[in-house]
Amino acid sequence: MATTTRTATDLRAALEAVVGPDHVRDDAGALLTYATDATPLERGRPDVVVFPGSTDEVAGVLRFANERGIPVVPRGSGTNLSAGTVPHRGGIVLVLTRMNRLKEISPGDLVAVCEPGVRTIELAQAAAAEGMLFPPDPGSHTTATIGGNVAECSGGLRALKYGVTRDYVLGVEAVLATGEVIRSGGRLVKDVAGYDLRRLLCGSEGTLAVMTELTLRLVPAPEATGTGMAYFDDLGDAARAVSRVLSDGVLPVTLEFLDRVCIDAVEGYSRIGLDRSAGALLIFGQDGDEASIDRDMRRMAEACEAEGATHVRIAETEAEAADVLQARRAVLPALSRLEPLTILEDATVPRSRIAEMVQRIQDIAERHGLTIGTFGHAGDGNLHPTIVLDPADGEALERAHAAVDEIFAEAIAMDGSITGEHGVGLVKLRHLEAQLGADHLALLRRIKGAFDPNGILNPGKLGS
Amino acid sequence: MTQPSDEATGAQRRGIFTPELLDRCISCGFCLPACPTYGLTQVETSSPRGRINLMRAIESGALADDDPTVVEESSFCLGCRACEPVCPAGVQYGALLEEWRDHTWHGRRRPLRLRGLLWAVNRRWRVRLMGLVRRHARGGSRGAAATATGAEPATLMLGCFERALYPEVSRAAKRLAPELDVPRRQGCCGALHAHNGELERGRELARALGDALPGTIVTTSGGCAAHIATVLGRERVRELSEWLVAREGADEPEANGGDRPRIGLQDSCHLRNGLGVMREPREVLARLGEYVELPSAGACCGAAGTYALLRPGDSARVLDRHLDEIAAADLDALVVVNPGCYRQLEQGVKRRGLRTRVVHLAELAAERR
Repeated sequence: MATTTRTATDLRAALEAVVGPDHVRDDAGALLTYATDATPLERGRPDVVVFPGSTDEVAGVLRFANERGIPVVPRGSGTNLSAGTVPHRGGIVLVLTRMNRLKEISPGDLVAVCEPGVRTIELAQAAAAEGMLFPPDPGSHTTATIGGNVAECSGGLRALKYGVTRDYVLGVEAVLATGEVIRSGGRLVKDVAGYDLRRLLCGSEGTLAVMTELTLRLVPAPEATGTGMAYFDDLGDAARAVSRVLSDGVLPVTLEFLDRVCIDAVEGYSRIGLDRSAGALLIFGQDGDEASIDRDMRRMAEACEAEGATHVRIAETEAEAADVLQARRAVLPALSRLEPLTILEDATVPRSRIAEMVQRIQDIAERHGLTIGTFGHAGDGNLHPTIVLDPADGEALERAHAAVDEIFAEAIAMDGSITGEHGVGLVKLRHLEAQLGADHLALLRRIKGAFDPNGILNPGKLGS
Repeated sequence: MTQPSDEATGAQRRGIFTPELLDRCISCGFCLPACPTYGLTQVETSSPRGRINLMRAIESGALADDDPTVVEESSFCLGCRACEPVCPAGVQYGALLEEWRDHTWHGRRRPLRLRGLLWAVNRRWRVRLMGLVRRHARGGSRGAAATATGAEPATLMLGCFERALYPEVSRAAKRLAPELDVPRRQGCCGALHAHNGELERGRELARALGDALPGTIVTTSGGCAAHIATVLGRERVRELSEWLVAREGADEPEANGGDRPRIGLQDSCHLRNGLGVMREPREVLARLGEYVELPSAGACCGAAGTYALLRPGDSARVLDRHLDEIAAADLDALVVVNPGCYRQLEQGVKRRGLRTRVVHLAELAAERR
């Protein structure tokens, strides 16, 4: 017991020497609040929480941890849904929210330069104030940090047209596990000097290095946005409408769907006048100049009608558009109110197989006696099967885990992925080999070893 | 190692919290940017999600009631409920905080200053005594005005500390709404008790006030409105600006022409976050001058009921941003709709030496009609 106490005191003193006494927490309450992220049921037990204020301080913490072999889990706002920021092997939680300076918005170079702790919406708003758009908009963008979004390669609602976070990372400054500071890329659109490490770090889930500065690509902001919706009796019709929209040469900014369970939950919760008899709801939108929005919205409406939409509506006013988007935004709140526990997954399939996949998910739900609502990004095949259950209800949790396993197996069998945008983290690591194969996993481990020889960065997750 | 989480599976419960309230949180973290104390610290432990994790820990026994972090966070929280409107899962954080303080602060563990304060308003006669020396609103025989118009009876609530500190507010409200009766025998609504560890007493006082004030209760205090609504039902209570706007057209003249003062607003947190009332005070002010929406109008000013007395340092840090914005906007008047905010901003503006006048909505509206 005495040894434990002395070790804890040593740890605290050493870290205080790096970041100052006000930025180290090891009280039981603080440790408990950094034991979890947004993933249900997953909980670790950190030894200490450290809040560095600069690249030098990050390097100091990592050098110390590397010498001692102490695990380090980098963290932003903790909105991760795959337990990627859960410190399940203890050690240091390295919180980067103090490093929240937005250093530059450059309309000339179309870039933003910022520290990792800037919230994504702050970056987007600063860009918008200069007439530019930062397109990645994950559901958590009001809370999540840009550092976390890059580390997880977050997606969002605009991915079909604009791509995901990796398509906007031009340059990174990162601290290696051994304390050296590297830079990859910068303000250039074209730059092939060396391996593309900034892309490798994007989506590396805190296992390779700690990013301390990001240079992000911006695009000119579109003039306006149009929004519409279409009901279908059957999700298969909606999926064919999606294919028809794309083959007609329209690349929409929004193409979201809700299945029957989601429509019913949303209407039950928010009473916004959705048709509960419908089998699927498709929400579509386009941005750009007024003329191309008008043309594309009309073509999308026609494509829906051609595939048997029972009702199509294009919003005429901003208030109407807000109503339509509200249906999509209300899905998670509505589902989460059905039961105490919500498990949000993000299996992804080629978009041509969405209807088939949703049907499989419903079969799995019935077989396990579970409620699973599926909604998501119809344009890119990224589905959010959402299981709601009461953990007090017998073996509901075990049945949910079995259902999730089956959903992943179906996704892999359809050339899909176990995760489109939430990350592998802790909870999907055991499924990774089924998707990537043993040789691929072995290569990931060698890459991890090259960056982090002592295996201190987010150990037990990707590359471990 | 990953540990099974008792609080999520409901295995162990000490009964401090209503299970449905505590289970509601899905830990998404959407509340973090809305929270003023998270804004000051950037530390999860001082955020709504962090505090709910602390509540779950004392509920399951993982942390002791007197754990220093638990005690500190139950008091550091402003109780402004800014986390509620942004919560996708509908967590009733304010209700959880009341249960937490009811458990943690019960009896002798409550701060001494707080005990004195609650004692002063715990009995109706003490509240009336505080008001006796001040000239708060009086008059209107019970039900007379209502009978005359054939409408449902409605009464003006005097408040407790407001009646002593700002008696002009109820007089102004009575001038604006002469149809309201002002029964003499009214005590404190119990909001202070409910927010400070005496939940049941807070409910009792609200029920007693409901008996003393027949019909619709009109109040000039946003915080009281939210508490009364929780206990007596939303339909029993109207905050003054709500009452005035609902009556619009009847006798609401345009502001007397000529000068157009620049007017800002400080929302009452519980009025905005608890009852969702934010349009009405702005509508009233827009008729009185040039309304300027401050970026922090909807954020807590740091008064937070008894907070400014209990944690003056933190309260001042929360207020600083508001004072910066008031100075930058060069306002003629900063309008409040709650007595706590009144005192907080009045003192802050004075300390900074700003030219802006802090005034209650009722006073400004009565002056400029």
